[in-house]
Amino acid sequence: MITVKNLDKSFDGRLVLDNISVTFEPGKTNLIIGRSGSGKTVLLKSIVGLLEPDNGEIWFEDVLFNRLDFEGKKKIREQMGMLFQGSALFDSMTVEQNVRFPLDMFTNKTMEEKTDRVNFCLKRVNIINVNKLFPSELSGGMKKRVAIARAISLNPKYLFCDEPNSGLDPLTAILIDNLIKELTEEYSMTTIVNTHDMNSVIEIGEKIVFIHEGLKCWEGTNKEILNSDCKNLNDFVFANALAKQLKGMEK
Amino acid sequence: MLLNLFRDIGRYFLMLQKVFSKPEKPVIYYKQTMHELVYLGLNSVGIIAIISFFMGAVITLQTAYNTENPIYPTYLIGLGCRDSIILEFSSTISALILAGKVGSNIASEIGTMRVTEQIDALEIMGVNSASYLVLPKIIATLLFNPILTLISIIVGIFGGWIAGTTAGVITSQDFIYGIQYAFIPYYITYSIIKTLFFAFIITSVSAFQGYYVEGGSLEVGRASTKAVVYSSVIVLMFNVILTQLLLS
Repeated sequence: MITVKNLDKSFDGRLVLDNISVTFEPGKTNLIIGRSGSGKTVLLKSIVGLLEPDNGEIWFEDVLFNRLDFEGKKKIREQMGMLFQGSALFDSMTVEQNVRFPLDMFTNKTMEEKTDRVNFCLKRVNIINVNKLFPSELSGGMKKRVAIARAISLNPKYLFCDEPNSGLDPLTAILIDNLIKELTEEYSMTTIVNTHDMNSVIEIGEKIVFIHEGLKCWEGTNKEILNSDCKNLNDFVFANALAKQLKGMEK
Repeated sequence: MLLNLFRDIGRYFLMLQKVFSKPEKPVIYYKQTMHELVYLGLNSVGIIAIISFFMGAVITLQTAYNTENPIYPTYLIGLGCRDSIILEFSSTISALILAGKVGSNIASEIGTMRVTEQIDALEIMGVNSASYLVLPKIIATLLFNPILTLISIIVGIFGGWIAGTTAGVITSQDFIYGIQYAFIPYYITYSIIKTLFFAFIITSVSAFQGYYVEGGSLEVGRASTKAVVYSSVIVLMFNVILTQLLLS
């Protein structure tokens, strides 16, 4: 479980996150949603420790993460996996080397064991016969899958995904969403997904947190989101013509 | 502006502190260092050899044309070529060339990793990104740049000999006598010491420019240019300081 308490973050005097408190539960796909520039990525990066919050606390179970030193954070980070918006695969390494990298760095497994684990992870994300390819030779969807394979190679306890569907076609986006949901349940991970894709919200949003202009405006499930009375959330959810039409039909 | 300078100096030393902290897994760093030895060191042999050859040739010809006086014995052309190359050209000029080649390479490589979130990915995994990316490069250049300097000295003097004898400004016998005359072995040590300092400056300053880049491809390009300019200027400043310290 990850708990955020009274989190503030500002850049050059401009408040980007204002007193955010939220709990992300294990075994569930937790979504942070909001418009572009609302502070979603800043919140996610603050949680994983890439940004230092001005005030507030970030707890990983019973450990106060944002007060730890580098070595202390390192221990928690070894239990984290992250899927970045642009996949962030290492350009100079092949797919196999990318997925093997955390194993090389943090385990004492033999090369055979590591190769088995790499192949297992790649198979799990439905990617085969690409071990020797470089990231530049992969499509956007394949890169995301390889990045997920790398993220799960050490059996993480926490999975973070920053805009996993950006730049993907709707079908591939649904595949990636489902993969994240399946893996979350399979490994009982605490998963936090940052998105503004309404398909993801409806498909996998077991817990949803809506951020608007740095404030937490609403939280609930994908069942509740369509019936919310939060104006900003409704403006966001029913932004496109199709959604408005569906809402009209429902009424 | 002054505030920015102090901030950058502070960040530079903070980065170095991270770079020289205990490696997560020494065997991985060893492999990276071997890779960097080839990438930053071995791949620079060609350019250093070509430039040194022509540098030696020009030094010999210019010394010859400037000492066209019967008072001066011709073997002094060989001596002048040898000392100019050992004392200054092989260490300093090679460092400036390497600042252009290796420095821009390091800054753009690390800068691209920064803007494409590859450095963030390393940090999330619990890897000390500064150490993993920069330490092998520093070790590789510290190990290989002195070899480049020695290659530069040998090729430079060879270039001088070829140019001098081909142009007919000095006989082969006089040139060889000149390069052996009043030879001070400490000059080689001096040149190597300077090379070690320059190697560290080029690698660490360029890595710093790349590591803290913010933005996109335009900023990576700027960081690469800054890496070359700053490391060249610092190399020249240290050249003066080291010369005073080591030769006075």
